[in-house]
Amino acid sequence: MAAFIIRRLLVSAVLLFFISIISFFIITLTPGSPYPWGELNPKVSEEVKRVFREKFHLDRPLHEQYAFIMRDLFTGNLRSIKDERPVLEKIAERLPATLLLNIGALALSLSFGLMLGIYGARHAGRPPDVITSVIAFIFIALPGFWVSYLVAIALVDWAAVPILGTHTIGVAFTNGAQVFLDRWWHVMMPASILAIGGIAVQSRFVRASMIETLREDYIRTARAKGLDENAVFYRHALRNSIRPLITGIGMLLPALISGAVIIENIFAYPGMGRLGYEAVLERDYPTLVALNFVTAALVLVGNLIADMLYAVVDPRVRLE
Amino acid sequence: MPRVRTLIIGVPLCLTAVTALALWTVSRISSDKKNEMYIGSIGEPTTLNPLQAADSAAGAVTGVIFNGLLKYNADLVIEGDLAESWTMRQRSTFFFANPEEAVQAAANMEAQLVDRAALHLGKYSVDGDKLVLELTLPGVADSQKLAAMFGVAPLAAKTLGITAPKPLGDALEDFAAENPAARVVRVWTNGNLGEIVFLGDPDTVRAGLQKFLVARVGDKGLVLDDIVAPPFLAEPEVDFRLRDGVRWHDGAPFTSRDVRFTYNALMDDRVASPRKSDYELVLSLATPDERTVRVVYRRPFSPALESWMMSIMPAHLLEDLAPDQWPMKFNRAPVGTGPFKFAEWKTNQFVRVVRNDDYFRGSPHLGGIVFRVLPDPLTLRLAFETRQIDFWGVDPWAVGSFRQDDRFTLFSAPSNSYNYIGWNLRKPMFQDLRVRQALAHAVNIGQMIRYVLYGYGVQSTGIFTPEMWFFNPDIRPLAYDPQKARTLLAEAGWKPGPDGILEKDGQRFSFTLITNNGNAIRSDIATLVQADLKAIGIEVNVEMYEWAVFIKNFVNKGEFDAVVLGWALGQGFDQFQIWHSSQTGPEQLNMVAYQNPEADRLLQAIREEFDRETIIELCGELQQLIYDDQPYMFLFVPEGTSVMWKNAFRVYRPGPGGKWIDEPVTMTKAGWSHYLEWFYRPEYPPQQEN
Repeated sequence: MAAFIIRRLLVSAVLLFFISIISFFIITLTPGSPYPWGELNPKVSEEVKRVFREKFHLDRPLHEQYAFIMRDLFTGNLRSIKDERPVLEKIAERLPATLLLNIGALALSLSFGLMLGIYGARHAGRPPDVITSVIAFIFIALPGFWVSYLVAIALVDWAAVPILGTHTIGVAFTNGAQVFLDRWWHVMMPASILAIGGIAVQSRFVRASMIETLREDYIRTARAKGLDENAVFYRHALRNSIRPLITGIGMLLPALISGAVIIENIFAYPGMGRLGYEAVLERDYPTLVALNFVTAALVLVGNLIADMLYAVVDPRVRLE
Repeated sequence: MPRVRTLIIGVPLCLTAVTALALWTVSRISSDKKNEMYIGSIGEPTTLNPLQAADSAAGAVTGVIFNGLLKYNADLVIEGDLAESWTMRQRSTFFFANPEEAVQAAANMEAQLVDRAALHLGKYSVDGDKLVLELTLPGVADSQKLAAMFGVAPLAAKTLGITAPKPLGDALEDFAAENPAARVVRVWTNGNLGEIVFLGDPDTVRAGLQKFLVARVGDKGLVLDDIVAPPFLAEPEVDFRLRDGVRWHDGAPFTSRDVRFTYNALMDDRVASPRKSDYELVLSLATPDERTVRVVYRRPFSPALESWMMSIMPAHLLEDLAPDQWPMKFNRAPVGTGPFKFAEWKTNQFVRVVRNDDYFRGSPHLGGIVFRVLPDPLTLRLAFETRQIDFWGVDPWAVGSFRQDDRFTLFSAPSNSYNYIGWNLRKPMFQDLRVRQALAHAVNIGQMIRYVLYGYGVQSTGIFTPEMWFFNPDIRPLAYDPQKARTLLAEAGWKPGPDGILEKDGQRFSFTLITNNGNAIRSDIATLVQADLKAIGIEVNVEMYEWAVFIKNFVNKGEFDAVVLGWALGQGFDQFQIWHSSQTGPEQLNMVAYQNPEADRLLQAIREEFDRETIIELCGELQQLIYDDQPYMFLFVPEGTSVMWKNAFRVYRPGPGGKWIDEPVTMTKAGWSHYLEWFYRPEYPPQQEN
């Protein structure tokens, strides 16, 4: 097991190196260059532009730029072109809000997905299943930004509740419960829209895998033993059919920190998606490289964890 | 297994229940506002350091935290801010072949002087072969009129600008000392930039200096430029008398040392200030005592006075801190002298400032201002409707419905910006003035304003906009007249071809109009122009690019046919960078390559003129000249509209003669927010100070 982990870590490091090279060159291949002074600023002289390019090594050949960025990334000195703040600090600043939003969305999609999936499987082929299926397909098809606007406009028009940002602005909260619930509300709005697709997909997964499991021989055996249907369903069938969910956990790690650009923009939510999106528009190479690097590293770690979980859950899998 | 079953149903139900409870709570939370103001903006400030910020979101925040030496009053006239008063004068130095000629010139001038005051002449003196005139108003025109009385021609001084690949150090001083024949009369060095003024033979001096500098700093990146400057030394001088008793937000006193520091920081390459170009003509800045600042310029540059509206920075906090530390230590927690103190900045959420009780004009009434970042235009409106922000810059399509709703107060004024189509004058197609006039007559700008701006805008009549104090109101906009357009094009030799598209010498009148995507107004303009021009037989292909690509690959290189763009220029009357024939290179802003010697002369004269009335006159001439030349198709000046909930705020401000004035929020020439520091919520009436 230890040898496996060490080998995988080494391979990951090499992989990460290549990922960083490719992502840097893709980013810099994009036409355009950083110009942090707004639209065509008549006051910015050639001299200022030259000093700016030198400061961020933009006057150097690409491979040297890459070397500078990697050096600074590992010494923790990598600065954003936009405001010259350390990139890692900028990423860390978004992390709590992003985690909160994505954990909220995951909680919603897993719990509702599981519930709807099981409900569908239990009534497979009958009207309740057909109805949940149709709902699931509608959910998959709905574009998130469109739902966001509808929800936002409806809430404002009918209930006049604030929905933007992470909390209500300008009111004096009287107790901790109010603060908590206000925060909960502001996280759950974007989270539930993020979760719409997830709920639908998860419920389809669970339903399919549940129906498949229910056809297994050991289920027939359990039923033949005269076990009551609830016990067959929840003890024997469920445990084996949520395996696809557990494998998915490996993929959750990067999803937890990666942002949701459109939803974050609409709800003015201060997450990672906006950081990346703004960095792309501003050609903020250091921030983009750092974001890509962190995300790639998390994907690799996520895969590693998934493989290890596999071995734990499924006795047929062995790590060598 | 009821436990698992309960869990599977219970968890989603619980989540739903808590969310429902949260909704109920949020909708019931007290709607009583704190004594604060909430302002929303699409963009987030990049930094709160006014030396480095260039975006309007940052400007809104730093505007209430910092003060400049000067500011505009509600009528856009300059008045003192941190400076309680200022005086301007100029020393003009003329050089003669020998002392006798200098004495002779002074005598001739004295003999012909009729009205000293009209020419702003104070004292004058002869110093060896120099004649020094002291003028009470900076500028070039008065000195030239006086020089015409000399009778003896003074030696012409020439100016060479130097851009070196590395700091020049004492190189220019050494050159002057080693080459007496060059007769260098003044040297100025700032980092890699330098300038010499000399009387010797221009070609010899230039060659000699080139050789000298190549030996000193190398020739890679070394550039010598002939600079357009008066043929004598004209050195304007501004003395600022600083306000007494002003304190920084941390309690330290404000002194002339802070002004000196601000200037030094602006010029410091490590700070990389986008405002540096405003100060490059400063020869020296001296602080004889704590309350006096004396700025001497190398030559007259009238926008210089406006440049002292620049926020003054606290020397005691920044002097000992290397500029690369500022982003962490200061730029996100600035300390100023203004009516509000910085309190907190939550990235991507808001910046909060709180009242400065120690403000030198008296404590503001509001407890604080929160500048919220709301990146989506539609939800910005929702935030306004739920009273999460107090002001909203209304999009043109929504103005109508707000106008009819008496719950709101609207503030409208033409913005200081205009949209245009720039014709690349490097292309033969656009070089004929008749063609450009025809294009302008062929496009229905009135209809464009109706469709694109829902009527909230006026047709542009050139490079200045109606709210600027130097705008020329007498210019008649070109009328929509497709028939006239056809006639003009026919005169220019363009005849309809077989496919209905105009042709001349076998070339079809077809061009590509480019703009950036993500700006609905610009893409709508492109579409309407395409349709209007098709009607008179001109084929327009519209292409859109992402902003960074658009600028780098097309505009900066000057490689385009026509471009849809806009200028937002504040109160800047100096448009040298946009229109002067020397500014047509790559990455320069005269991207259409407009060249007109008369315009060049006016642009130069405006920069050298300090008299308000004369500036208005010169600007009027320039605006007319460029409008007649039609290097752009000047489209429209959009109207900016802000909306406020009715009676959400009032203004209680000190008026003339120490009387306090209580009035509703109104539009001034400087905008609805000009008296922002004196706004108050009627629920929190200010302490009456009468």
